[in-house]
Amino acid sequence: MSPVWLASWAAVRKRKVQTTVIGLVVCAAGATLVMALGLLVAADAPFDRAFASQRGAHLTVAFDAREVEGADLTGGAESAGPFRQATLDTSGEETYLGTLTVVGRADPGGAVDRIPVTLGRWAERPGEIVLGVQPGARGEPGFEIAVPGGGTLTVVGFARSVTGSADAWVTPEQIDALRPTAVQMLYRFDRAGTAAEVAAGQAAVTAGLPDGAVLGSLSHLTVRDKVTSELGVFVPFLLIFGVLGLVVAVLTVANVVSSAVVAGLRQIGVLKAIGYTPDQVMAVHLVMVSVPAVAGSVLGAVIGNLFAKPVVQDAVEGFGVDALSFPAWVNVAAVAGLPLLVALAALVPALRARALPAARVIGAGTAAHTGRASRLQRRLAGTGLPRPFALGAGLPLARPGRSALTLASVVLGVMTVTLATGLALSVMAYDQAVRPSHADRLELMAGPPSGEPAFVPPGEQVPTPRLSDAGDEAALRSVPGVTAFLASARLEAELAGGAQKATITFHRGDTGELGPRVLTGHRPGRPGQVAVPSRFLNQRGLSVGDTVTVSARGGRTQLEIVGVVLTNNADEVFADWSALAALAPGARADSYQVRMAPGTDRDAVVAAVREADPGLRALPPRDSSSSTAVIIISSAVVLSLVLGAVAALGVFNTVVLNARERRRDLGLLKSIGMTPRQVTLLLVTSMGGLGVLGGLIGVPLGLAVHRVVVPAMTAAGQADVLDILLDVYQAPALALLALSGLVIAVLGAVVPARGAARLSIATVLHNE
Amino acid sequence: MRNGDAVVELTDVRKEYSDSVALDGVSLTVLPGEAVAVMGPSGSGKSTLLNMIAGLDRPTSGSVVVQGTDLGTLGETGLALFRRRGIGMIFQFFNLLDDLSALDNVALAAQLTGTRAAQARARALELFGELGIAGRRDVYPARLSGGERQRVAVARALMNRPALLLADEPTGALDSRSGEQVMDLLLDLNQIGQTLLLVTHDERLATRCATRVIEVVDGRIAREQSLERTP
Repeated sequence: MSPVWLASWAAVRKRKVQTTVIGLVVCAAGATLVMALGLLVAADAPFDRAFASQRGAHLTVAFDAREVEGADLTGGAESAGPFRQATLDTSGEETYLGTLTVVGRADPGGAVDRIPVTLGRWAERPGEIVLGVQPGARGEPGFEIAVPGGGTLTVVGFARSVTGSADAWVTPEQIDALRPTAVQMLYRFDRAGTAAEVAAGQAAVTAGLPDGAVLGSLSHLTVRDKVTSELGVFVPFLLIFGVLGLVVAVLTVANVVSSAVVAGLRQIGVLKAIGYTPDQVMAVHLVMVSVPAVAGSVLGAVIGNLFAKPVVQDAVEGFGVDALSFPAWVNVAAVAGLPLLVALAALVPALRARALPAARVIGAGTAAHTGRASRLQRRLAGTGLPRPFALGAGLPLARPGRSALTLASVVLGVMTVTLATGLALSVMAYDQAVRPSHADRLELMAGPPSGEPAFVPPGEQVPTPRLSDAGDEAALRSVPGVTAFLASARLEAELAGGAQKATITFHRGDTGELGPRVLTGHRPGRPGQVAVPSRFLNQRGLSVGDTVTVSARGGRTQLEIVGVVLTNNADEVFADWSALAALAPGARADSYQVRMAPGTDRDAVVAAVREADPGLRALPPRDSSSSTAVIIISSAVVLSLVLGAVAALGVFNTVVLNARERRRDLGLLKSIGMTPRQVTLLLVTSMGGLGVLGGLIGVPLGLAVHRVVVPAMTAAGQADVLDILLDVYQAPALALLALSGLVIAVLGAVVPARGAARLSIATVLHNE
Repeated sequence: MRNGDAVVELTDVRKEYSDSVALDGVSLTVLPGEAVAVMGPSGSGKSTLLNMIAGLDRPTSGSVVVQGTDLGTLGETGLALFRRRGIGMIFQFFNLLDDLSALDNVALAAQLTGTRAAQARARALELFGELGIAGRRDVYPARLSGGERQRVAVARALMNRPALLLADEPTGALDSRSGEQVMDLLLDLNQIGQTLLLVTHDERLATRCATRVIEVVDGRIAREQSLERTP
């Protein structure tokens, strides 16, 4: 064993607190790094990888079969098709799968949009169907789907189209029986990286075709944006927490390492006195911190992989990525990069150790401390503050560098807590806005939504209203305490241009009071008008004033977008009741919502409704939380706890070192009558001041970062930035957040302070 | 004028700090086998003198030659290499490495010179036996008594059979019994030929171990006296 390794390894083993703090800090940083980088990479790559391997279509176009009969649809581009396309409405059948876009396709291969069969096999004969699977969907083939008008199709397999070209596939012979009305073409272009290039490609392949020939089109860019938008919300979130984690870790490690050198001055002197060269002294200090750093980074990488992979796997398995593995560089960055970072952080103090004259440092610790701290302490002593406060408050200035690094850790810890709190409040505000759970509202089911199975809790009956739609409205409006009424009917529809679905919700009644909030434009007031959420527009590249073609119940109509509403579901649009007759004549409301006057007893209203129409079913108050919100809030809590703990570890380390350096002072104070409790108070006070200062600096920084991260998250989620998402901090919350610095400092300081307070006076003074 | 046989030869050494002069024109020669005690009041420059000879500090002017090597010509690495083989040091507060066991503290000195670990430990064990601390080899410094710590420090200083043993108040932190034991040890070492230079306040230590006493006052050699050792 070389002398360098011998001294380093001995320090690693014997300085358990220092080794543990470095290991924990690096471990936390490593886990955060792997999670952040892994998610960033996986969030972006799965679609592109699957798209490349399946040769996904850059453009999917649905043509009107009558308009393009006999025409050459290849347009000179690499293409697949024409495939005849039909709509299969299963809403009235036993096996409910919604409205399916079905394409007649002989085999899943070809030059464009190769469709991997994930389970079972491809359809080989009439009567068979292959279903597209959604991410996370489970099931076995072999069941049957009823075809409206007679006959059944047997599901023989499941497959995925990365392009989302269809919901299901049958043989070309079978498609005739489903009465196809459109023809699908799938194209790949030489250049399709931007919307303009895709549009140019579309213009080229549709040139010369009659007006109205194109029913709709779907760009691969739209598909990619849509499938990654949910995960994309996490990107700025994870990025900022990853950066914060790294900075906190680096600062804490720099603090720990540089403090270790200062605390080890005597050891440096001894090493030099017995013949260690300056380079060897430097090497001892670098190795001493690198050993726990390497162990911590490996452990952190393992933890990061364990935590991050299941989350990412769920998100990406729908794109054909079944066995997720992070790129090697992510783990290399954590396992090799972090120790390198630690070594760099240690280099400056190690270089200082290298240059320290042995004669000066070998006697260090025996000289009296002089300078600013002593002067400040003398001034504080004159203020009449209790002595532990007076002595403790001046202590940080004795080691300004160490105190500055500790303060920086606390500032970042407070900043993280502030940011995490703000993000949680923003997410809750968004959820409350788009999924209000108003206590003054009562929702009532009037039957299965058109085209969907009824949601029936075990033991309850499917709602079957006794009264007519108009009768129910009259009855509900007459219930005492009801001040507003809204009827809703939902209809599954298909947007022309591929397997794009939308639910149209038709409203009747007091839409201004109970309908979704209109952000821009106006509510639809007549047939042919629709209001949509901003995500609907952003995902499809549409804007207010544009027109979309929808198909439902065998009918097709065009709807003009007249307003933007505040809702989250990108696939739900809102129309006036008058439009319902055009698509689903005779349909009735499937749900009602009423608002009750303040002080109204909800149970009394429910009882009155039951008496009026026992067929209506009152729903329990709505839970406004979404899975994304839960993940973001819980992640924010976990990450702020981790980073807060890392910052507290920095404080912990500082107090340990301060106490070690001040052993003699503390021993003397105890010898003249200071109690252990007062010694604890003295050391905690020394960090409490930094904690308060850290709170005052960290909160404004957290607020500033919140105003950057929230817009980035909403942009990634293809939603709009709203004031309600930004203005989430209230004065009491800010005051509490400012105190979080004090909490971090006190939590970090109290354990080592109590340990120092318990030191035996005789031992301390004897050792000197 | 240089004495070619001298182990230590200081010529007009001056050491200034920002606000004081620690040594002011000190010249001193120590011959092989001598035991020289440097005495004087606190702050007189005794420890600074020792640090100069050990290569732990550099003079402002003048030359320090130890075993024929002018320390002024050596860089930091050169001084470290010089200390490994040429000097053994004993301190008042022992200055053992708290992270290493007693045995490793001692063996480390030999390992620095390139001696294999097994050989170094064997030599260290031999010294532990001679110094009467063989049973404390695996104990860490914090659990050793003051006398035991100083004997470990002596063992470490002797590990590489240095030409010069420097001791800075070697009994200053010890009780009288332990102090006696260390005095005996130093006396024995000198009697078998070990050159010794010790800084002390303890007149008993000086008269018992030293063959020559030098008194330093205000950074200058005020008096020099050869002694007959007292039993």
